[in-house]
Amino acid sequence: MSATGLPPAPAPAPPTGRITGPSVAATTAVFVRLKLSLLRNGTRQSTGRSAAFVGSTVLAALVGALGLLGLVALRGDEYGPDTGVVLVAMLALGWAFLPLFVGVDETLDPGRLAMLPLRPSPLLVAQLASGLVGSGPLFTLLLVVGAVLVAAHGVAAALVAVVAAPLVLVFCVTLTRALATANARLLTSRRGRDLAVLSGLLVAFGLQGLNLALSRMADEDGGLAPMRPLADVLGWLPPASAVRAVRLADEGSAFGAVLALATTAGGLALLLWWWRRTLTTLLTAPDASSLQPPAGAGPDRGRHEGGLAGLLPTGRTGTVMLRVLRYAWRDPKAKMGWATSLGMAMLLPLVLTVQDGGSVYTACWAAGMLGLLMYNQFGGDYSGFWLVAATIGSPRDAFVELRARMLVICLLGLPLMVAVVLGTAALFDDWESLPTGLGLTLAMLGALLAVGAMTSAWLPYSIPQEGAMKNVAPGQSGLAWGSLLGGTLVGAVLVAPVGALALFLHGEPAGWLVVPVGAVWGAALCWGALRLAARRTADALPEILAAVSKG
Amino acid sequence: MAENRGTGIPPIPGEPEPEGERPPAVRVRGLWKTFGEQVAVSGIDLDLPTGRFVGLVGPNGAGKTTTLSMVTGLLRPDSGTVEVVGRDVWRDPVDVKARIGVLPEGLRLFERLSGRELLTYMGRMRDLDPDELESRTEQLLDVLDLSGAQHKLVVDYSTGMRKKIGLAAALLHNPEVLFLDEPFEGVDPVSAQAIRGVLERYTDSGATVVFSSHVMELVESLCDWVAVLAAGRIRAHGPTAEVRGEAESLHHAFLELVGARGNPDGARLDWLGGAR
Repeated sequence: MSATGLPPAPAPAPPTGRITGPSVAATTAVFVRLKLSLLRNGTRQSTGRSAAFVGSTVLAALVGALGLLGLVALRGDEYGPDTGVVLVAMLALGWAFLPLFVGVDETLDPGRLAMLPLRPSPLLVAQLASGLVGSGPLFTLLLVVGAVLVAAHGVAAALVAVVAAPLVLVFCVTLTRALATANARLLTSRRGRDLAVLSGLLVAFGLQGLNLALSRMADEDGGLAPMRPLADVLGWLPPASAVRAVRLADEGSAFGAVLALATTAGGLALLLWWWRRTLTTLLTAPDASSLQPPAGAGPDRGRHEGGLAGLLPTGRTGTVMLRVLRYAWRDPKAKMGWATSLGMAMLLPLVLTVQDGGSVYTACWAAGMLGLLMYNQFGGDYSGFWLVAATIGSPRDAFVELRARMLVICLLGLPLMVAVVLGTAALFDDWESLPTGLGLTLAMLGALLAVGAMTSAWLPYSIPQEGAMKNVAPGQSGLAWGSLLGGTLVGAVLVAPVGALALFLHGEPAGWLVVPVGAVWGAALCWGALRLAARRTADALPEILAAVSKG
Repeated sequence: MAENRGTGIPPIPGEPEPEGERPPAVRVRGLWKTFGEQVAVSGIDLDLPTGRFVGLVGPNGAGKTTTLSMVTGLLRPDSGTVEVVGRDVWRDPVDVKARIGVLPEGLRLFERLSGRELLTYMGRMRDLDPDELESRTEQLLDVLDLSGAQHKLVVDYSTGMRKKIGLAAALLHNPEVLFLDEPFEGVDPVSAQAIRGVLERYTDSGATVVFSSHVMELVESLCDWVAVLAAGRIRAHGPTAEVRGEAESLHHAFLELVGARGNPDGARLDWLGGAR
């Protein structure tokens, strides 16, 4: 893989003289051609992929061009230049996090280059040049040009703009490559990949936060005024300072403009120096895979299982529950599923009530989110499902297996759901709806768990372990969406009788009846579904194993 | 024992063949499997003797993994029957699953459990007595040199360690027949020796090991019975010495059986090692 275990000694000098390696120009040409080939070959694999590639390139160019036009339209707006500064800062932030999500493109994976006789400087230039090829840089260039055009009115400003735009682009590409190189070990290690998977959660919640913040800002007067304070801060930092330089030149502050440009140029130089250093280290120093950890190293989890194992029932039920709970904590995909479902179960009713002023019944969303956890139970096991299959001999075994998985969801979800129902009742001071609301959510959870158990057995699909955004193996997304949508519809039908009862008894003293009715109804649905799903699971173990091992 | 096997002599010369008295450990009849257009296994009939170290050999893509998956109930055959210790794998799965141990190739373990937790999980799933399970886990970890890494997550294990913990999980319930798919693939010599030691001890007790490999030297030194598989068919089977026949080694016999010849174009690489 990488230069593991190789001594960091320079290449032995042959009698004819020192091998200097290919020149900067030659290396750069090779890398740019390599990048172009990679782009081209990426489209070759399937029509879907090439369509996606062409589509995304066109979309990037289109959105970039629209952004450029929009920014040009802001010329003359008081806050236009501030918007440009903030936009460029956002772009830089995007470039910084890019390698985490998009993955590292092969032209910058040092591990693939370690065995080639390349010196750091040509490699650096070549990687930078190949980094400038692609739809991402094109998109960035369009927006950056827009950002500098907003402020450039005079000749001096235009001159600064001509320097600033390419400088910003090169800065962004250098930033992403330097960070990717620095994190190369992390990104290829297990812990790094785990973090990358979990970072999907960060992005989901982060986007939500950004959305909220932006809508709040826009609320104030609908203008771009909120950009001013942001631009005042970000304008001092590279690469946004280069954009600020254009405005300073426009205002006649030559010194200020040069200083602001120099800030970005200095930042770029610093980045290049740091990148070169990490690259050299990466290409010459051994990585963890070639270093033997001392015997007995690693976390000591204790010889005996902790309190949790003792609290769970014995036999297969407790064993399965313990494993599912451990996976919920240790497996990034499972953790993300649990965190999303539990987090959304808490937040969604709250958000919905804040937006439309709902009722206790919005707590049904919590039941829905929890019910989703039961879907595709075996998909999360991936090909490890064979261990389960090897111990399932009868429908009874399958029943206990599925029931244990359902119990874990109830163990964590039921208290949360009851809390959400009580919370929404308290929020609206709507205690009148509490009994019927509680009964309905209980029935709903039961119905969705039941449907989840059935789809787990009949419509299993694989959840690939790698990749934050990849939750379905190629070719199985129809199955996944089908089971989700179909399951939700069936769940709604199953819960309808209790819904009707809740409607009928809403606000009546007899409303409390809905609680036991809902609980018993939900439990009965679960029991019935488990019976059916267990029979199917026991009969179709090889088929389920094949379905969940894909990707 | 190992030296004895190395010579290829049947274990008890002069005495009646054991398979004459005991029913075969594995009985396969008319086994077929196709994936789309591709025929992976085309009509295998095979009896594997009880109490032997059986090698299933063949080049890559011969159908070894497909065959073992179907024999162990992990893959449903298109047609044919499989009996393990006299029980039909597809009609009597409860009984069969309790009597076999499996180490498949290319399938994951529950890797977010530590090695010890994985063994405890499998033992409990198989309903072993807790004290017995504890003592077996301890011994297996010890014998397979995994005690030092028992609290490490399996996801952080090396290939050799994964194979060893997989083997431990397969042996935990003391199965009658053990199926191992490429147990030595990617395994360093130290781990290979540990695995080998455990397997030899296990077969000495009268249990059956069926393992697949394409490393002939290994098969020749370990197995007293082999079946050669190529292109989804059995090309030869029987005691190792018989299959080897007049050939110099099992390796040569194998190449002849699967119809492989040296590549004559190799002679063209005359520049290799020449003036630089």
